Amino acid sequence: MASPIDIHVEHLTRVEGHGDIFFNAKEGKVENVQWHVTEAPRFFEAMLRGKSYEHLRAITSRICGICSIGHSLASLKATEAALGVEVSEETVLLRRLALHGENMQSHVLHIGYLVVPDLFGVGSVFPMVATHKDAVVKIVGLHRLANFMSDLICGRTTHPITLQLGGFSRVPTMGELTDLKARLVASKPVTSEIAGVLASVKGNVPDFERETEYIALVDENRYALYDGDIGSSDTGSHPVSYYRSITNEYVVGQSTAKYTKHVRDSYFVGALARFNLNESKLNEFGRETAQVLGMKAPVHNPFMNTYAQMVEVADSVEDSILIIDELIERGVTGDKARVELKPGRGISAVEVPRGILFHDYTIDSIGNCTKANCIIPTNQNHANIQKDMEELAPGLVELPEKEIELTLEMLVRAYDPCISCSTHYARVHFV
Amino acid sequence: MKPKVAFFDFASCEGCQLQVVNLEEKILDLVDIVQVVSFREAMKEHSNDYDIAFVEGSIMRPMDEERLIRIRTNAKILVAIGACACSGGVNKLRNKWPLADVIAEVYGDARIEGNPYFDVFPTKAVREVVAVDVYIPGCPIDRNEFAKTVTSLAFGRKPRLPNYPVCVECKKNENICVFELGQFCLGPITRAGCNAICPSNGEGCDGCRGFLEDLRVNAMKDILRKHNVSLDQMMKRFNLYNYKREGY
Amino acid sequence: MRTMDPDQWKAFIDRLIEEPDFDVTGVTEKGSRFVFAPLGQASELRLDYDITILPPKKELLPPNEDLLTFDISKPFDVLAARHERKKVLVGVHPYDLIAINMMDQVYLGTHVDDNYEARRQNTIIIASDIINIPPKAFCGSLGTHTVETGYDLLVTPLDDRYVVTEGTPAGTALLEKFAETRESSRYDIERVEKLRAELPSRYLRSPHVDKYKWSEILEENYEHPLWEENARKCLTCGTCTLVCPTCVCYDVHDEVELDLERGKRKRTWDGCLLKEFTLVGSGEIFRETPTNRYRHRYYRKGMYLPMRYGFVACVGCGRCATQCLADIADPLEVMNVLASSSMEDKKKLPIPEVKVHGVKQELLIPKAADIIYKEPMTDIDTLYRIRLDSGEALGHRPGQFIELSIFGIGEAPISIASSPGSGPEFDLLVRKIGDVTSKLDTLALGDKIGIRGPFGNGFNIEALKGRNLLYVGGGCGLAPLRSLINYSLEHRSEFKKISILYGCKDPSSLLFRNDLESWGTMEDVDFRMTVNICRSDEGWKGNIGVITTLIPDIDMDPDTTMAIVVGPPVMYKFVIRELKQKGIPDENIIVSLERRMKCGVGKCGHCQINGVYVCLEGPVFNYADIMGLPEAF
Repeated sequence: MASPIDIHVEHLTRVEGHGDIFFNAKEGKVENVQWHVTEAPRFFEAMLRGKSYEHLRAITSRICGICSIGHSLASLKATEAALGVEVSEETVLLRRLALHGENMQSHVLHIGYLVVPDLFGVGSVFPMVATHKDAVVKIVGLHRLANFMSDLICGRTTHPITLQLGGFSRVPTMGELTDLKARLVASKPVTSEIAGVLASVKGNVPDFERETEYIALVDENRYALYDGDIGSSDTGSHPVSYYRSITNEYVVGQSTAKYTKHVRDSYFVGALARFNLNESKLNEFGRETAQVLGMKAPVHNPFMNTYAQMVEVADSVEDSILIIDELIERGVTGDKARVELKPGRGISAVEVPRGILFHDYTIDSIGNCTKANCIIPTNQNHANIQKDMEELAPGLVELPEKEIELTLEMLVRAYDPCISCSTHYARVHFV
Repeated sequence: MKPKVAFFDFASCEGCQLQVVNLEEKILDLVDIVQVVSFREAMKEHSNDYDIAFVEGSIMRPMDEERLIRIRTNAKILVAIGACACSGGVNKLRNKWPLADVIAEVYGDARIEGNPYFDVFPTKAVREVVAVDVYIPGCPIDRNEFAKTVTSLAFGRKPRLPNYPVCVECKKNENICVFELGQFCLGPITRAGCNAICPSNGEGCDGCRGFLEDLRVNAMKDILRKHNVSLDQMMKRFNLYNYKREGY
Repeated sequence: MRTMDPDQWKAFIDRLIEEPDFDVTGVTEKGSRFVFAPLGQASELRLDYDITILPPKKELLPPNEDLLTFDISKPFDVLAARHERKKVLVGVHPYDLIAINMMDQVYLGTHVDDNYEARRQNTIIIASDIINIPPKAFCGSLGTHTVETGYDLLVTPLDDRYVVTEGTPAGTALLEKFAETRESSRYDIERVEKLRAELPSRYLRSPHVDKYKWSEILEENYEHPLWEENARKCLTCGTCTLVCPTCVCYDVHDEVELDLERGKRKRTWDGCLLKEFTLVGSGEIFRETPTNRYRHRYYRKGMYLPMRYGFVACVGCGRCATQCLADIADPLEVMNVLASSSMEDKKKLPIPEVKVHGVKQELLIPKAADIIYKEPMTDIDTLYRIRLDSGEALGHRPGQFIELSIFGIGEAPISIASSPGSGPEFDLLVRKIGDVTSKLDTLALGDKIGIRGPFGNGFNIEALKGRNLLYVGGGCGLAPLRSLINYSLEHRSEFKKISILYGCKDPSSLLFRNDLESWGTMEDVDFRMTVNICRSDEGWKGNIGVITTLIPDIDMDPDTTMAIVVGPPVMYKFVIRELKQKGIPDENIIVSLERRMKCGVGKCGHCQINGVYVCLEGPVFNYADIMGLPEAF
């Protein structure tokens, strides 16, 4: 290719938030490939400054419209840790259910609306309504079920209402839980079918591998989403309080979001990281689906993050059914733990659809937040995206421009980035 | 002739656009009565030829203002969706602190001068930059209210927001008043239209849809005082989504 | 009376619940309170409740209800949405039952509301005696703690048994089919009577005056400082009207699905405390201040409804008093303050006698009609000639109005602008100011609309016969006036002198130019017109000045002259002042007023001027009757 290639994708489509891709090559050599985060900084620390512990969950929920359940739970866990509040087993079960609802909703949205169009060679899901009506209807149906579940447990999927300090402000009735279980059971064939659709276009997934460090929550009892220790594919497991040593943040000029690194230049968080670290804890439906998709840990192809999400959807459906069975057997009381004001610091970690999320609060004796730190999963992935691009780029240089552009776009999309949530910083001290 | 419709977002969590996606099967009806020409989150195609622009998010930087003004010029009707666009939402909470402080604290010693991405000013709502024709308030918006607004626009009828308090919807749902549960609630001074979703789920209203034009704020303060809510608590709650709104 | 043991009663309720032909709704727990809700099993029923959050009115007049469905992809496709499913309502306390009977009088009275009737006819009520009393109730002193009629069955839960009184054959049939009962013993009956007799003394509060005196007390205290004092604390949140068993006002709006084809006309609860309750298309709000709205509720309950129907519309349940956050909604406290009031200058509130004019027709379903002629008269006013699909004449009297429906948008009340003598078609003069009128403007000849009516009382022609007629029309007030003017010209010999005065803003706002010209040429008609302002280039050669400037020159014997005045709200004061200057007595002045209207038949409550319904006792009023009404002008 003699002529220079200059690609600038402005405001990448089919991702949450604003980011640009640059690719410049001259005479068959890559001169520059960059993932450029352009989203307006949101200053969440300034929003939390001096706020009462009672409002932290409501404010941090507004960090993200898709992972607001995850942010709410991370916030509540951190506040509860700071105040020394222990929630009941029932609350933990309901919170796990809430997180499954969010995972399912976000993954199905990502798989069906954001990624599948690329695998089918179209610009969006809208034209697929005519060409692949059956698949689209099934995807929409599963998305609706996930929202139904979140609406039931949390009052609302975006910016949940019932998630409170110490418990829930409203719990589902036995009738509602029974009904939800029936719907989940009925959705299993649909889930398998969607997995089948993904398997059928696996050939369109770029064949690229780059081993990196994978970081996710790990728990010896289950596929960890709500609770656990920090797991690293390189260094084993660490307590959550250790998070700062893992998420070393640093600034780069091309991004309003910082980069992070642990023992390598970058690391990966998200469904693929969770899958690589927790595969053995998948339930039967999850394992089946992994098989259909031909996935066996460790998987080093970042494009397969979407497929790992599909595995998680299946696992979440099944795990939700098991949690509901347990709740029905125990009965649901709706009791909340007592919350008493005392100064303290609390750190929490929760897996949201895009990866591991940390909240760290310091609360003073009159209940105001004096110090806050939120490390967003996508924040932690930006460096990895950049490194992936750098390694992927030389192999693309011979391809037609449209294909280079599409492949780079697909790479970023595979990470399911939540860019607007990630554009802010850590280590803030309020006075 | 189907109106052409485009979606844009600024500084936001994109939760409001997600509610559009959450219309699920109804989206198929939606794309039947309007033509979606730009929706960055869901589709690759983009066109600058649109009649109705839906704008989510607040304005933080000169580059955002410029983009918004371009959108206003292209669109016949501009709809602000969500609290961030309608009133500034939680994005305005940082306006309380001096801008220099905020930037210094958050970006520390990073070299950002001259970088347009970091050139922020105090948060603005959309109407503080351009004229807004229609508002869909809430944090996030109610997807049914969104569907009704689009239907009205497609039907050639001016969408109308309720001008009565959340209490009306709360009572129709036969909720136990949140005040009776030992909490306090801004429902009596907040615009209805959300079907009182928060009180219906056991949590007091935070006023995310914006206060009524004619809010009975003194009567409200009396009632809050009667329920032992301190002025500091009141102001913190008032300011969550209605930062420095005139009237109190 | 029949008696059941507790497990027989439980079995009875369970059998009702299992019956597929009807649904059972009863009182059940909700957190720490009680509500009427569908019952899944008899054990959920809590007849020992003190009070429910919302009264059982919600079962007969739901907070949200479909009135009719339509399909706008077709020219005119509309169906009634009657709710036919049968229901058994268990646990209604006497005060709530009495309130339901009051609601029956409003909704099943002169004009039968189809939707309400369907629900009412399909509901069997099992009332229950009061066991526990909420702190703020005062039923004992209002006589609403027990009830003798109005129920199908009435159950008295005693400690060890249930005693059931039969009220109707339907109730008896229910017992026979589903229950095992035995005849009540003398002892059972005594225990029931004792329980009821002891109730009044168990109430913690009572008003200082008998409820039948409330009307008089309210009449004298319209200007009492209490109203403003309390209104300052009022949130105007509407809670008091929503939880009240006798509040039955509603609003109507149209909803269209995303497919832009199917839609519904829905009825929702509305309340006079809310600011926009009296809002009209032009933006005017007739009961604007919180003081007026706060006060109105008490007058409606204690004075206006008693005058109209004979019942005091408060049953002492205490819901409003309990749930009002500002603690100002308690009728008992308010009446006690007023009763002991030692106000020096107690002005009496003059209330005209309310007359009801029966309108026999289908109430809610509009009739299909065509636009057969359309003529723009100004930038914003258009004349439409309408013909009903059936070809029948509307059968209206001058001064009446219709409700014009455009499905998907809504309804608007429009005065009829033509005399009944002009054949089966009728004229409407429509000003483009709201949703319906703006949409109407886009319709063409042959397009279909819906018509309900005619409504209202119309002009009293008899009272005008043999008199001089002085017509004073301002702006689009000329439209309803034209109906009477042309009628009187068609029957010229029945009236003496006729003068027509017409004023509008400027030459471009003139309406009905053909009629104006024609009236101007009639020998036996004195026609004068004026415009408020006029630019020099508009070529206007007539009078310039407000309409009141035309009145002094009129030469008519005041005692035998009837002045008929119709115009924008602001005009009346000034015109009437001029008329009085000419010596015209109050009872010789006729006006036509407008207010917000939804039903047209005195049920939705929006058009009230104090206790008078503009849609029933008006829109035509004799000035002497309403001049003292504070809300009239």
